[in-house]
Amino acid sequence: MGTTNSAMAIVEVGQPRIIENKEGMRTTPSIAAMGKSGERYVGITAKRQAVTNPANTIFSTKRLVGRRFKDEEVQKDKKLLPYEIREAKNGGVEIKMGEQWYKPEEISAMVLQKLKFDAEDRLGEKITEAIITVPAYFDDSQRKATKDAGEIAGLIVKRVINEPTAAALAYGLNKKKDEKVVVYDFGGGTFDISVLEIGDDTIEVKATGGDTHLGGDDFDQRIINYLINEFKKDYGVDVSRDQLAVQRLKDAAEKAKHELSSTLQTEINIPFLTADASGPKHFSTTFTRAKLEELVKDFIGHSIELTKKTIDETGFKISDINEVLLVGGQTRMPLIVEEVKKLFGKEPHKDINPDEVVALGAAVQGGIMQGEIRDVLLLDVTPLSLGIETLGQVFTRMIEKNTTVPVSKTQIFSTAADNQPSVEIHVLQGERAMAHDNKTLGRFILDGIPPAPRGVPQVEVSFDIDANGILHVKAKDKGTEKEQSIRIEGSSGLSDEEKKKMTADAEKYATEDAKKKELAETRNLAETLAYSTEKMVKDNEAKVKDDDKKELNDKIEKVRSALKSDDPEEIKKQTEELSKSAQRVGGELYKEAQNKQPEPAASAQESSGEPKEEPKDAK
Amino acid sequence: MSDKTNENNKNIEIEPLQQAQDQLEKANQQAKEYLDSWKRERADFINYKKEEAKRVGEFIKFANEGIFLEMMEVLDNVEIAKKHIPEKIIEDHEEWLEGLEKALAGFEELLSRYGIEKIPIKDQKFNPVLHEAVNGGEGEDIEEVRAGYTMHGKVIRPARVKILSKN
Repeated sequence: MGTTNSAMAIVEVGQPRIIENKEGMRTTPSIAAMGKSGERYVGITAKRQAVTNPANTIFSTKRLVGRRFKDEEVQKDKKLLPYEIREAKNGGVEIKMGEQWYKPEEISAMVLQKLKFDAEDRLGEKITEAIITVPAYFDDSQRKATKDAGEIAGLIVKRVINEPTAAALAYGLNKKKDEKVVVYDFGGGTFDISVLEIGDDTIEVKATGGDTHLGGDDFDQRIINYLINEFKKDYGVDVSRDQLAVQRLKDAAEKAKHELSSTLQTEINIPFLTADASGPKHFSTTFTRAKLEELVKDFIGHSIELTKKTIDETGFKISDINEVLLVGGQTRMPLIVEEVKKLFGKEPHKDINPDEVVALGAAVQGGIMQGEIRDVLLLDVTPLSLGIETLGQVFTRMIEKNTTVPVSKTQIFSTAADNQPSVEIHVLQGERAMAHDNKTLGRFILDGIPPAPRGVPQVEVSFDIDANGILHVKAKDKGTEKEQSIRIEGSSGLSDEEKKKMTADAEKYATEDAKKKELAETRNLAETLAYSTEKMVKDNEAKVKDDDKKELNDKIEKVRSALKSDDPEEIKKQTEELSKSAQRVGGELYKEAQNKQPEPAASAQESSGEPKEEPKDAK
Repeated sequence: MSDKTNENNKNIEIEPLQQAQDQLEKANQQAKEYLDSWKRERADFINYKKEEAKRVGEFIKFANEGIFLEMMEVLDNVEIAKKHIPEKIIEDHEEWLEGLEKALAGFEELLSRYGIEKIPIKDQKFNPVLHEAVNGGEGEDIEEVRAGYTMHGKVIRPARVKILSKN
């Protein structure tokens, strides 16, 4: 439940996920309104009619919920809010919408109810329970009122948790111990700073601070004012009273602000912004990141001061802080990231969408609570890739690193030579491209493969890791159904250091390994082509012209001598040459076979079958 | 110590049976629990796959939404330019204008091929599901300020409208 926007998330297959609302948006404006004929609007529709119906469009109820009417904050907000509020009998706040007076939590409930319905619509099941987040500085009465809002919306509120705590949960910081965390939350309308201390099983809020009336919207306003002034400088025309012109400038300002998070400058181009007696006036200007930063520097400076102050209140030193989290859309601004980094001397966490991180964290909390009831099943992942050695000493992966177990994978392999009677299955673990750079886990031989040309026998290799992390590798000749297997225990029993080293090595040697692998693959390709061309010539002894035979044999010879070198370019070149000739001869054979239709069936099949496969193999 | 052993001996007949029964029950209970979690997990996975397929379908259907929205901003400017066509051209170059209209119609046709339709404004009353108000007018009749569009029935950009004051 944000001051300007709200979001919802669920845990699915162990991961939190944002649920889109009916309109397909990941956040929903926290606004409710009563139309002229009594119809109720919530979310984006309420926002769209806000200017035409300001007195009955209720937003920012989060600023009023659970407060006393006489509170200083409420009195301050009262002057800014376009709708009517009054003191309730119990001293709280009441809001007028349409002809009726509502408690702030009743308005909040309307937003929650929309979220509930939209989620039910998306998921196709009833939503009965919820976890709602509130700012860390909310007192008991504000928390109670928020909980009431949920209950009015028909939800059982399992827990009301702090927004910074939710953010920490989304980043998985609850698993850390004895850490001090600062959550820097720059939203659309409020700036909140919180200092958390993560203990054994608890996340404690040590201090909160911020400015409840500072947010990204202030940034937008600064940009709009700047643009209005620029236009005035260019044309001497003040468009600040022209609603349509201001609206277009506002669109441009928002767009420019977003773009400048990833680029250094952007073009603002608004043709026909306005017109006077002398004709239409167009506005175009280059807006730079530097200019934007200059416009809002004081806001950011203020936020950094507030951050220091809040940390001071805890008695911690800035150097005591272990982690910093960025929350709220405005933290996408590079200058903010930079200033925060400068203050703490460390990179803040910003990987999770800052508009969604709080909702995701609430879902994580929900997941933890469900887990307590339903006994979480902890599934392991394979720390390193597992595979076998194939032709040319290449490491062929069967199960990729970080695959959740139990898992099984099957792949078909074949022989590398004619009449090969057995295959060796060399089981390896690691991330390197070449087999000998990885760790051998075991090997075994599957024999009794009946004589056959290379590539014909089908050997099915399967890897299976059970829930206990035990790896079973099995090889089966599909022709004879003969099989062999091996059982490898503790395949993940590597020390953390070993794992780290192996992963680091893979990164370090990535380019070198890729080259080696490419060479191996090029060689395999060349060998296969030489072999199959030879076979084609032999099988079609009578049909291949003598000239062609000589040409092909020469080229096969050239490929084989190139293979003796380790020069991939030379091997590739000769392979290509051979491939061209083989394709031509193969094509002619094929044509001939078609012309002389009534050949004996068996030999026709053989001669047309083989060359057809050739180009496929050669590619 | 020995006293206790004696007492235990008395129960020796019943205990192993009882123990075995307890164990069996426990094992049965556990087996049921495991089977149940397994079924649940399978169901979760199958449902997840279905959902994911649906999501990917949605994603593909609306994959071009972002590009179209950006293109529309260019189109908006052309529309605004159209409102500012000098009288002289309107009077003397009717055919030229016709050509421009045809060019723009071609764009709208392209949009409709991707399931994008313009939100109608004529004779419509203000409706925030489709329209976004830009002023504080009292009435319900509207005038378009910036065109809105739906894509496969979903509002991808509401029409921006001016609310006309009553009468």
